[in-house]
Amino acid sequence: MSLGDELRYLRAFHGGGNLQEIEDEIGLEPGTLRYMEQRYRRVGEDDELLARIAAYYGVPVERLQFHRERYRKALSTYLHRAQESGAMVRCELRTGETLSGKVRWWDLGAFGLDPDEGGPLTIVQRHSVLDWPLDEDHVANDQ
Amino acid sequence: MPEDVRTLRKKKRLSINQLASRSGISIATLIQYEKGELEISPSDLRRLAKALYVDEWDINPYSTPPPPAPPRREEQPARPPRPPRPKEQPKEQPKEPKQKKAPRQSPPARDSQIAHLLTLAARFDIDQAALQTEIGKPLSELTQKEARHWNGLFMRRVAEEKPPRATDRRRAYLPEGVDGFELAYLQEQQEAAASLHFTLFDGQTFEGPVVGFSPYQITIHEPGGDEVTLNKLAIAYYRKAGGAK
Repeated sequence: MSLGDELRYLRAFHGGGNLQEIEDEIGLEPGTLRYMEQRYRRVGEDDELLARIAAYYGVPVERLQFHRERYRKALSTYLHRAQESGAMVRCELRTGETLSGKVRWWDLGAFGLDPDEGGPLTIVQRHSVLDWPLDEDHVANDQ
Repeated sequence: MPEDVRTLRKKKRLSINQLASRSGISIATLIQYEKGELEISPSDLRRLAKALYVDEWDINPYSTPPPPAPPRREEQPARPPRPPRPKEQPKEQPKEPKQKKAPRQSPPARDSQIAHLLTLAARFDIDQAALQTEIGKPLSELTQKEARHWNGLFMRRVAEEKPPRATDRRRAYLPEGVDGFELAYLQEQQEAAASLHFTLFDGQTFEGPVVGFSPYQITIHEPGGDEVTLNKLAIAYYRKAGGAK
């Protein structure tokens, strides 16, 4: 799950507040949170800023740093390469489950996975993917 | 307050052709939408909202028909008779031989004709500048008759040459820019009335056939008869009911 998805998730769990109001409350430049929530590439390099956001949502800053490494483009690269090569993917979901299988398609919000244990196509929401095997090469190439 | 798609398009200073390119909706369909002849389908509403940078609810799905075009010449009320010409100016010069009347000028080409012409030309990778060069004048100066001629010409070329299709598109297709696969899957399942099993982030599960969906929500019909709308942000994954877990 990317930092943007995590921030959206946290906001939803905090009553789905207005971005501008939250930015005002934390003391962020207008548009900072919106940018971080919507950006597909890696964001949130400023640890001090992350710490302020983490404090507002009442979560450890390490949690946001964890998601910073798992930005949307990195997941896209992982899915795309697996689809191209026919390799299996393995994703740990926010539900605690781990799904593995072959990628049939992927798009803006979800990907279709043919589970390795058989069964129907499973549509996995990208924002529910907590973790996947991070490849340094993917990260480096996608900055 | 939702506004008609035509009003929004004009506000954004877009031509029909530009909106068609941005949204991926055909010009003919857009014209029908703008004239209020057709209700905008949910999927097209989403596309239009994206293309116009507005929310879906900002667009009136059923446009108000535009005011009727001004009546044609024969339908216009008779003009008042002209005042008689003053007679005090004697004609001194001898009568010149009657000149042939110039043929009636065709009116300027309609927007839809130009848009259609651009669409046809684009199929041959001819952009507006190249098209104008080929025609020999700016498109804005084309008359209806000329536009008809060029459209016919390109239509014949299309029929004869079969230009390259969308597979030769120049822009890269980026799956992360669209959510077409998931929406196509949902459409297919909805049409098949297949029951889907949803697992949410918090472990809750829901099951039932899809009765409606948008980029942000999916509504299902539960076995008990209730309709439940699931926010996609809350969904972890889903699959056809009865499948292996």
